[in-house]
Amino acid sequence: MKMTMEDEKEQPAIRVRNLQKYFKVFKHHRGFWGALRNLISREYQIIRAVDGIHFDIRPGELVGYLGPNGAGKSTTIKMLSGLLVPSGGELYVSGRIPWKQRREHVARIGTVFGQRTTLWWDLPVVESLNLLKYIYKIEDRTFQKNLSEFKEILDLEPFLDIPVRSLSLGQRMRADLSAALLHNPPVVFLDEPTIGLDVVAKERIRQFIQHINVERKTTIILTTHDVSDVARLCKRVMIIDHGHLIYDGLLEILQDRFGDDRELVVDFAEVYTDYSIEDARISQADDLRITYQFHRNEVTASQLINRLSSKFRIRDLSVREPEIEATIRRIYEEGLLEPDTEK
Amino acid sequence: MLSALTLYRRLIKIQIQSQLEYRASFLFDLAASIFYFSFWFLSIALIFQKFDNLGGWTLPEVAFLYGMVEMSFGTMDLIFSGFDPQSFGQQVRLGTFDQILLRPVNISLQIFGSQFTLRRLGRIIQGIVIFGMALTWLDIDWSLVKVIYLPIIFLSLVCFFGGLFIIGSTLTFWTIQPIEVVNIFTYGGSEMISYPMHIYQRWMRQFFTYIIPAIFLNYYPALYFLNKTDPLNLPPIAAFLSPVVGIGTLFLAFQFWKIGIRHYQSTGT
Repeated sequence: MKMTMEDEKEQPAIRVRNLQKYFKVFKHHRGFWGALRNLISREYQIIRAVDGIHFDIRPGELVGYLGPNGAGKSTTIKMLSGLLVPSGGELYVSGRIPWKQRREHVARIGTVFGQRTTLWWDLPVVESLNLLKYIYKIEDRTFQKNLSEFKEILDLEPFLDIPVRSLSLGQRMRADLSAALLHNPPVVFLDEPTIGLDVVAKERIRQFIQHINVERKTTIILTTHDVSDVARLCKRVMIIDHGHLIYDGLLEILQDRFGDDRELVVDFAEVYTDYSIEDARISQADDLRITYQFHRNEVTASQLINRLSSKFRIRDLSVREPEIEATIRRIYEEGLLEPDTEK
Repeated sequence: MLSALTLYRRLIKIQIQSQLEYRASFLFDLAASIFYFSFWFLSIALIFQKFDNLGGWTLPEVAFLYGMVEMSFGTMDLIFSGFDPQSFGQQVRLGTFDQILLRPVNISLQIFGSQFTLRRLGRIIQGIVIFGMALTWLDIDWSLVKVIYLPIIFLSLVCFFGGLFIIGSTLTFWTIQPIEVVNIFTYGGSEMISYPMHIYQRWMRQFFTYIIPAIFLNYYPALYFLNKTDPLNLPPIAAFLSPVVGIGTLFLAFQFWKIGIRHYQSTGT
């Protein structure tokens, strides 16, 4: 299933064709004799971390990149940011080959790896930012403008003068995001930017990501475990599993195809002998509260409500959407999508 | 080029500042390292009480060798702190090396600027004191060539040891853990060339003449400075090969370093 809209005139911000990354992993034998064998053994197996993926990302898109652990997400991001050289295929970011033109490439991207900081451990945040201003040769006006903008949205002021080592995780992430975007990179890779954060801190970071994407037309790839990040920010998602891209398209369509049934919870005004209605099945009944399940393709919520209110007296009702997180988990676990082998 | 130097200065300033934040610990480390290395020299001095010469060399003559090595190794250890296989291996292991690749600045420059271990000053100070003592005890027949050549020997040794550090660090791209064998060459090597090298067995001498030509770094220049005859009968040019060996080692080390980075980019960690 392909949802990429190929516009011939517009050069994609990121272009990936048949991208591959294989690793040789030497076999490890256990125990003492095993350790000796390891020294001389040349046995290895090939791990296909990324096994021939294709996609285009247009300038200004914000794409969620999902996949279970070890699926090839971070290997892809490492290739996109120039840290790893692909084993095969083509890869262009803003028309450049990341690993061949390292310095030109990294000067025009921004990266946040949620697990580790880019900042200098012992330096106060503001001094780290000043040093980055020098490293990226950022003009004074741009720097001041960005800094005051980031200060406002991310509320940096309270910890600008504190050394990075003393920051809380949330503060550090805000500082890292500012650092990654100071030089106005047109393309940004965010790897788990909300990992380990509480709800409030997550929300602030999501707002910031959205702001950057909307106001600056920055192209963003967001990898995350937290599907609610993606649900909140991205229209388009790509899902990778076992090194294959198994889905690339709109999040809504994914939900339509694979989402669990929706639920309608109804509080009746009086007791009836039979609560059943067409196209919905009763999944739970507690006194006057009945929960119906129905599939979005068979019937709409409003049709159901009409049917109910013509038969019964109703006090209250609500519709529950299935959680996107559950949908995605089902896709991995039950293997609902096959790798895209066309092209 | 100028901006690279400015950046280097700024990075070093950060390192120095953060170490001086813990002033007590810094002073203690400094004192400890002065003591540590001084005791080592004291033990050599004690041997001389018993034997009064070492392969025909007096204590001040050995102090000339030893002081030179201490000054240059200490200086190297300070400047090349970032390339110390111990701390560099840490960077590879923790993935902070990735952050260096993600900045649009020369990689080696960033490594040089990533660490500046001030307590190495202890070893430098100790080396200067011992080398100074050697110069006052000895009656060196100074000439213009000797005045010019002395700092060149020092710099060649700095380059040589720096090259060994870079090689040791580069190996961690493959091994992840720094490997002990490298210490034999760096720390062991620095100790070995602190003695007059004709006292070693023939095979060892030949190894350090033809395979790793460390004998030309310190021993041959010392023969020249102290007006001693060469017991190994090499051509007179041997006294002036120090910069060739030093710069050559550093050059080869950087070539290996580039291969290492390419390997890192193809495998990650």
